[in-house]
Amino acid sequence: MHIPDGFIAPQMYLPLYGVAAGLWAFGAKRLSDNLDEATLPWLASLTAASFALSFLALPLPGGTSAHVTGVGLLAASFGFWNAFMAASLVFAIQALLFGDGGITTLPLNALAMGFFGSLSARGAYLFLNPIHRGAALFFAGWTGLVLPSLLIALALGAQPLMASDEKGLPLYFPFGWDITLPALLIPHALLGLGEGVLTLLGGRLIERLRRRYEHV
Amino acid sequence: MKAARIFYPALLLTAIPQASAHDLQYTVTGGQAVVVKLFYADNTAFSFEAYEIYPEGEKLPVQVGRTDARGRIAFLPERAGTWRVKAISKDGHGLDFTLTTDAAATLTGSDKPVFERYGRIVVGVALILGLFGFINLYLKRKKT
Repeated sequence: MHIPDGFIAPQMYLPLYGVAAGLWAFGAKRLSDNLDEATLPWLASLTAASFALSFLALPLPGGTSAHVTGVGLLAASFGFWNAFMAASLVFAIQALLFGDGGITTLPLNALAMGFFGSLSARGAYLFLNPIHRGAALFFAGWTGLVLPSLLIALALGAQPLMASDEKGLPLYFPFGWDITLPALLIPHALLGLGEGVLTLLGGRLIERLRRRYEHV
Repeated sequence: MKAARIFYPALLLTAIPQASAHDLQYTVTGGQAVVVKLFYADNTAFSFEAYEIYPEGEKLPVQVGRTDARGRIAFLPERAGTWRVKAISKDGHGLDFTLTTDAAATLTGSDKPVFERYGRIVVGVALILGLFGFINLYLKRKKT
């Protein structure tokens, strides 16, 4: 889902940069006000783990591959704003230093996976946690991967409608929604099961470790 | 009648070049190509996906097609130059990089990833932990 440069029209990425910049500024202020020293090392470790996890691509039917993001785990364990800022940091490092995901597409990647991924994961976690903690963690992971894939499929599929040359040929990403929606949603709905299991196991491990080490 | 005897064979003769123009021919030769191989981080081939090759700075591609089953593109540049290779899959994966060929149309260089796969992970993780170290210092300073 890390969209490279040249796939998204400026009509989309320029306004998204404005939206993302505002959210990053607000998120930084919230982190500065609310982040405590006890949470910081855990958040740092999980952000680093999320970065490393994104390199583990899993082959999927159809010859494509996808990777887990750890966004659901970040959101369930540390809250929405912490998760959004941590995920944005991961995407920024990947785009600026390693060329994984474009610089022009950074706001789309950050908003889809970081903002809405974290928001949906945190929402699923808070909604289901009173009913069943394991299910809450699992669905936080699943939805934190699948909702971003839907948003990115919609954004990619909109490109042929947004910019084309005089012959009507798309200038940026060439495929429409009929192709992008199944191409992204089906593999990520399957991979979301893996992300859900990872969030379930990771969430319980973090909880146990925090209980043990923060009370020493 | 005599005129017709001359006219019809002449008409047939003039039609021969047009008819042969639609007869597709082929030749088979061996040659040297620049082979680009595209694959995911887990070495899965980027197979049967669309690609385009452009001379640097130009908008019209010199070659378009799909990668083969092993994710390869065979490119036969006809001159020295820098060529932009764009590959796009339906699910949004893709690459956009350049390669350079010399006057003999053989490969002389190409964009390379900044870091190898595992080097990237180590550097990225170290950077993230370092940044959080600075945030920790900032929070401590803010408290005092």
